Amino acid sequence: MISLPDKFKQRLGWILLLALIWQLIAASHFFSELIFPGLDKIILTLFTSLTNGNLLKQLIFSLIIIAQGLTLTVILALSLSILAYFSELAASLLETLTALAHPLPGIALMPLILIWFGAGKTAILLVIIHSVLWPLILNLRAGFNAMPSIYNLIAQNYCLTKLEFLFKILFPAALPYFISGLKISWARSWRALISAEMLFGAINSLGGIGWYIFQRRVFFDLPGVFAGLVVIILIGIIVEDFIFARLEAKTVQKWGMSK
Amino acid sequence: MLKKFLLLLFVLLILLTFTACQANHQSSQQQVGLKKRKLVIAEQYGLAYAPIQLIKVKKMLENAEPGLEIEWKQLSNTAAIREAMLAGRVDIGFMAIPPFLIARDKGMDWQIITGLAHCPLALMSNQSAVNSLADLKPENRIALPQPGSIQHILLTMAAQKEFGQADLFDNQLLTMSHPDAMNALLAGHEVTAHFSSPPYLFKESKIEGIKSILTGQAAFGGDFTFIVGVSKSNFYQENPQLYQVFMQTLQKAVAELSHNPAQAAKNLAAVYDLNQQELLTYLTWPGMKYSQDVQGLKRFADFMTFQGYLTSNNFKVGNLVKTNSIFKIIGETEGND
Repeated sequence: MISLPDKFKQRLGWILLLALIWQLIAASHFFSELIFPGLDKIILTLFTSLTNGNLLKQLIFSLIIIAQGLTLTVILALSLSILAYFSELAASLLETLTALAHPLPGIALMPLILIWFGAGKTAILLVIIHSVLWPLILNLRAGFNAMPSIYNLIAQNYCLTKLEFLFKILFPAALPYFISGLKISWARSWRALISAEMLFGAINSLGGIGWYIFQRRVFFDLPGVFAGLVVIILIGIIVEDFIFARLEAKTVQKWGMSK
Repeated sequence: MLKKFLLLLFVLLILLTFTACQANHQSSQQQVGLKKRKLVIAEQYGLAYAPIQLIKVKKMLENAEPGLEIEWKQLSNTAAIREAMLAGRVDIGFMAIPPFLIARDKGMDWQIITGLAHCPLALMSNQSAVNSLADLKPENRIALPQPGSIQHILLTMAAQKEFGQADLFDNQLLTMSHPDAMNALLAGHEVTAHFSSPPYLFKESKIEGIKSILTGQAAFGGDFTFIVGVSKSNFYQENPQLYQVFMQTLQKAVAELSHNPAQAAKNLAAVYDLNQQELLTYLTWPGMKYSQDVQGLKRFADFMTFQGYLTSNNFKVGNLVKTNSIFKIIGETEGND
């Protein structure tokens, strides 16, 4: 925790430097302003979109869908992985399913999902779940399998029930893997959501952040496209540096499982 | 710490200069490329582009200008053509008038160099209870290529005319390519209406239960050019001869489609993957007209300015079009000009 402020200072330094270079290139007018808008224009567009436009509502809409998708997926992945941990048969089925489904990009499934479920919220949720479920299962199972077998013997020594074993030994032991799986899931769910929104169009009357970017693109508003990207980057940094960093500090770091 | 940062800044700046030099080098190479006479033309899929397809299959440009290298790009949407032209990868692109105006409004230095086709456009619905715009309920979804497309602008024109509110249907749009939208319409769920263009429009209108609830002409209040050819002004300024060759070749292709559609249908059947007879029916469908004249530009510009899709309202039709004796501008004097 002590090293955090320092890390932020450095990061801020880098961001300022990159912003400066960006602004210098834009100000040099080496590229047309239509291709390379200045930061002032981007920030201005971002500001007007947030205050006058629907960007904030669209962002909240996107985040709610991601939260729903991630919650569903975590429950699903945990149940499947636990089942596979205790049953050889379930494990081989899950391995087969993962091998079949994991290489499929969510985007490739879109036409199918569109025909079966229509272009509604269900479709976007399905794309998110598909993109997140398989990597999360892989991580969880790796975590479960990496647990030293001596922990099993300890559990037997203490005569722990299966449920106690699950919550007192297996979960904590696999937590570093689970958290890194969650990080991957978070990043992948963003990607899935934004590509789905850009393909399907507005899902409710406003659409989400992906739809915002698409709309800016078709109206030839590059500062607006960048404004959408900036929002995504900011959310990514906030989630990574605050939520995940806190989660790690309170659990795996405190327990001495990782640095 | 500060020293390190300064050093890094220095290194980055040097790298930057190198990349800048490289970019310069590339663009000068490109200019040489134009003198070596390479022409890049971008279009989309559809019957409106038939003259372009004819030029392509009959190698008309290669015959008119021996040694000329032509690169054809068929892109899936207008935004992609616009971006490619902005990046300098495409010399001449084809699209509808509204997307041209939107980019022009944002400062892109380009002009309409020719009209290409008038086509019937229509909003098609598969529901028996839906016979006009007024029958569309808020939960009904309308499929069209994208916001800001000609289909979208026509829909807002009709909504303005009938209900006094241009963006009435904006929350019901579904962005779909024409083939996807046609399939969704046939499947009968999710999409209630599709703003269609040929050949999808013709295919849809042959199917029982699918009918037109609004035509493009009714929405616009007259005839208009569906697809125009555009190019950045530096293209025809730097390559006047190439520009003229292209215009004359296009004139011949348009003439064949207008005066000898049977011959054109024979030449193009393979391109459109239709049998000759069916293609001929489509090419001569009422409302199909191949012409280099540009019609309706002023009304589109006025409406889009009024609705706030365009911000700079000082468009003069004369500045938007690179005029040529080959074609006329129709409807320039209508409205407040």
